[in-house]
Amino acid sequence: MKKKYLNFIRGVSINKIGMAGMVLTTSSFIAMVFFELLRIVGILTNAYIGLITYLLLPLLFVVGLILIPFGWFKYKRESGKTTKELLEKQFTKDELENTKIGAKLTRTVLILTMINVLFLSLASMRMLNFMDEPVFCGTACHSVMGPEWATYQVSPHSRVACVSCHVGEGVGALIDSKLNGTWQMISITFDLLERPIPTPVHQLRPARETCEKCHWPEKFYGSKIKSIVHYDVDEKSTPKHTTLVLKIDSGEEAGKAGIHWHIDNKNQIRYASKDDKREEIMWVEVMQDNGKTKLFKSKKYYTSENNSDSERIMDCVDCHNRATHIYENPNEAVDKRISKGLIDNSLPFIKREAVAAITSSFTTKEIANQIIQNHLVGFYRENYPNLLGTKSKSIDKAINTLQNVYNTNIHYGMNVDWGVYPNYLGHKNGGGCFRCHNNDLVDEVGKPIKNDCTMCHSILANDSPQPFMYLQNATNANRDSAMHIYLKSEFLNYSIK
Amino acid sequence: MKKIILIISIFLFVGIWGELLAANNDAKVAGKCMTCHKEKSPGIYKQWQASKHAKHNVTCLSCHAAKRGEKDAFEHEGALIATLVTPKDCGSCHKKEADEVNNSYHATAGKILQSQDAYLAYIGGGTPAVIAGCESCHGSVMKIDEKSPNKLSSKTWPNSGIGRINPDGSLGSCTACHTRHAFSKEQARKPEACSKCHLGPDHPQKEIFEASKHGNAYYTHTDDMNIKSDSWVVGVDYFEAPTCATCHMSATAKQKITHDVGKRISWTLRPPISKHKDNYVQKRKNMKDVCAACHTERFVEGHFVQFDAVVNLYDEKFAKPATAIMKIIDDKKLKRNKADFANDIDWIYWELWHHEGRRARHGAAMMGPDYTWWHGIYDVIHNFYFEFIPAAKEFNDKDVNAAIDKLLKKDPMHKWFLTKSTAELKESIKNGEMAKIYSKLFYKK
Repeated sequence: MKKKYLNFIRGVSINKIGMAGMVLTTSSFIAMVFFELLRIVGILTNAYIGLITYLLLPLLFVVGLILIPFGWFKYKRESGKTTKELLEKQFTKDELENTKIGAKLTRTVLILTMINVLFLSLASMRMLNFMDEPVFCGTACHSVMGPEWATYQVSPHSRVACVSCHVGEGVGALIDSKLNGTWQMISITFDLLERPIPTPVHQLRPARETCEKCHWPEKFYGSKIKSIVHYDVDEKSTPKHTTLVLKIDSGEEAGKAGIHWHIDNKNQIRYASKDDKREEIMWVEVMQDNGKTKLFKSKKYYTSENNSDSERIMDCVDCHNRATHIYENPNEAVDKRISKGLIDNSLPFIKREAVAAITSSFTTKEIANQIIQNHLVGFYRENYPNLLGTKSKSIDKAINTLQNVYNTNIHYGMNVDWGVYPNYLGHKNGGGCFRCHNNDLVDEVGKPIKNDCTMCHSILANDSPQPFMYLQNATNANRDSAMHIYLKSEFLNYSIK
Repeated sequence: MKKIILIISIFLFVGIWGELLAANNDAKVAGKCMTCHKEKSPGIYKQWQASKHAKHNVTCLSCHAAKRGEKDAFEHEGALIATLVTPKDCGSCHKKEADEVNNSYHATAGKILQSQDAYLAYIGGGTPAVIAGCESCHGSVMKIDEKSPNKLSSKTWPNSGIGRINPDGSLGSCTACHTRHAFSKEQARKPEACSKCHLGPDHPQKEIFEASKHGNAYYTHTDDMNIKSDSWVVGVDYFEAPTCATCHMSATAKQKITHDVGKRISWTLRPPISKHKDNYVQKRKNMKDVCAACHTERFVEGHFVQFDAVVNLYDEKFAKPATAIMKIIDDKKLKRNKADFANDIDWIYWELWHHEGRRARHGAAMMGPDYTWWHGIYDVIHNFYFEFIPAAKEFNDKDVNAAIDKLLKKDPMHKWFLTKSTAELKESIKNGEMAKIYSKLFYKK
C-alpha cells in the first residue's frame, strides 16, 4: 500500500515543477493535520494559528495540486511524447494494466482525488468558520481594523462575534459579506479607504433584527440605577457622585413609558438629518398605532425640499451607536480607571495629571507611551519627589493603565484621536438625546419636543459629595435645598406610580 | 349688607393670600429650575450657588417669578416667569438701594434718544451700532416680541445698560454693576465694574483713575482692600486706596453708602460749558467728607481750587468763545449742509468740547495730570487755534470774523497768538505777568 503511493508520487513528480507541487501539497497537508491535531488536544492555543492552519496551508495545498498537472503538461509538450509513452515511462505495467474495475493507477488517482475533495471541503468549512471568528476580522486587516479590534476586546459585547452583528445569517448575508470583504481588500491594497473610517456603517444588518435577538423590547422594564463618579482636578481628586435612575421602560403601563418608548411596537419614529452623521436633525415624525402622526420641524435645519436620502426609521443604533466599539473621552476614561482602582486616588493631583498625560498629543503608540510615562514621573519628581520612592508601584501602575487607555482609544495610523467617534448615548456635550430633544424641533404650534430633565431619569445626585445626596433631608446648608426637595419628590412620585 | 362685606372680604383675603403664595417659592418648582440649569448653564448655577443669595435661600423664582398680565411674562416648564429682573424686582428686598438708583443720574441714562451722541450714532452709524454700542451702556427701551421664546426682542435683549427702560416702568438694571448671577458687592466695589462704560476718548475715567495716585495705590494693594467685608467704610475697614465706589458711593465714617451716584458730584462736565449741579454746595461737601478719610482739610481744599481752576480755564478761554462763534454761524445759517454733523466745523466743535474738553476737566477732577494736559488742554489748544478758528474763518462772514478778531486781539488769554513774540511771552512768564492773567480763574465760583 505504502509502496503503491510512493510509486505514484514518484510517477507524478515528472519534473521539478511536478516535484515542487507534490512537496507543497503533501507537506501542507501534513502540517495542517498536525496543527489541527495540536489545536484539538489543546497544545496550540494561539488564536493567530488559524491564519496559518485555515488560510495559508489550504492555499499552499491547492497551489501544489495545480502545479502537478501543470508540470506534467509542460514536460509533455517539451519532450513531445504522447500521454501513453509518458505513462509507460513513469509507471509500471502492473499499475497501468486494465482490469474490470479500471487500472490500478486510475484507482489510486480516484482515491487520492476523493481524499483531496474531502480534505478541501473540510478545510474550506474550517476556513469560513475561521473567517467568522472575531480574531480574523480583527487581525487580518491589522492596521485598518486595529481601532475596532482594540475597543471590541474591552467592550460589553466582547463575547459576541463580529459576524453576529456585521454579517448575519443565511446565504445572502454570507455572499454579501464576502463581496464586501473583497472590496475591502481592494480598497486596502490601493489605499482607497478613508481614515478614520466614517460612521455610520451602512452595511450593518438592521439593528432591531440583530440586537433584539438578545435584547428583546418586552424586557425593557422598570428603572436602572446608574452611578457615575467624576473626580475633581484638586489635589485629592475628590470624588463627585452622579446617580441617575434611568427610566428605560418601553411600554406605557402605569404611565411609565421610558426611554425605550421610542422602539415600542406601538410607536414608530421617522426622522431626517442634514447629513449622514445624524447630528443635525431636520424633522422628526412620531406615528402611533392609533394612526396619529405628529411632525416636529427644526427651526434651524428644516427646508421644504428636504433630502429624503437621509430619512430613517429610528432604531437601536440611533442612540446606541457605540454599543461595542466604545471610544472614551479622556476625562471619563480616567474617572473609570480611578473608580476601578487601577489608578491610585491617593496620588496627589492624579486626576488632573492623568488626563493631561493622555491628552497632550496625538501621536504614535511608542511615542505616546513614552510621553505618558515622562509626564507622570516628571510631575511627581518635580512636585512630590518622595512619592517616587514610597508610591513607585502606584505610579507605575497608573502609567501602565494610562498607556492602555491611550492605546485602546487612540490610533494614529487611522486618524482616530479623542472625540473622533461621538457616542450618542445620553446627552454629553449637547449631542445624543439632545439632537432631537431640544427647543429647536417644534410642532405646528411651536411646542418643542419634550426635554424635561426628569423625563428620562430621576436624579439622586449630580456632582454631589454623596451618591444619594438628594434622598437625604435637605437643609439650608446645602444652599440648593430646593433642588434636593424637588428631585427627591420626583423620584418618589415616579417610583410609587 | 354685613354679609356681603364679609364675603367680599373673604374673597379679597383669599385673593391676596393666593398672590402671596404664588410669590412665595415652592421648593419643588424652584428645584426644577436648578435641576436643568445646573446641567445646561452650569456657570449660572455655580455663580448663584456661591452667592449670598443662595446662602439666604433666594432662589431662581424669588427673582424670576412673574405675575399674570406682566408684559414679559411667559410659561416655562410649568412656571410663569420673566427673564428680565428689574430694579423693581430687586427692590422687593433691596428697597433703599432700588429707590436710590431710581432717583439717580444713572437711571436716566436710557433716555438718550434726544442727545447729540445718540443722534450721531443713529444717523452716522446706524441702529446696529446704537444697540451694540450706546445702548449696551445706557440701556435700551425694552421691546416685547410675542414670537420670542422669552418675549423679549433680540434687539433689546440681552441688555444690562444702567438706564434700561423696563416694561414694568422701572429704570435701570442692577446687573450693570452687580453682574449676574453672583450679584457680588465686591465686584461693584472694584473699578472694573465702572470701566465697562466709563472709559474712552470722551470720558476716560478708567484711564485717569489708573494714571492717578489713587489708581496706583489701588492696583498695588488690590489684595489688601478688605473688599468682601460686609462693612466697607473708608478709613475704617480699608485704607490703602480708594476705588470709584469709595468716592462716589461707598460709606464713610459720616455718610452712608448710597446708590445715587451723583450725590457727591458738584459739576456736570458733560455739556459744552460746565455747569454746577443742583445743590452743588452740599454735594461738594459730601465729596470732601470722603477725601477727609485720608487727607487733611487743607489738602482737600487745595485740590478743589486746582480742579475748579481747570474747569474755569476751559470754560472761559475756549468753551464760551467757541460756543458763541458757533451760535453766530448757526443763527446766520452759514453752514453748507443743514444736518448737524454734515459739516466739517460740526465735528471740530464737537470734539473740542465732547472729547478734548471733557478729558481735560475729568483729568483735573481725578488727578490724572497727563489727561489734564497732553490728552486734554493740549488737544483743546491745537483744535481751537488750528482747526476751529480756521474753519470758522472759511465762512468769510463779517460777524464771525469780527468775533474772532475781537477774541484774539482783545482777550488777554488769547492775545499771545497774534500780537506777541516768543521772547516777549517768555519774559511775561518769568516776571509773573502771564500768571496774573489767569489768577482770576482760581477763586471764581
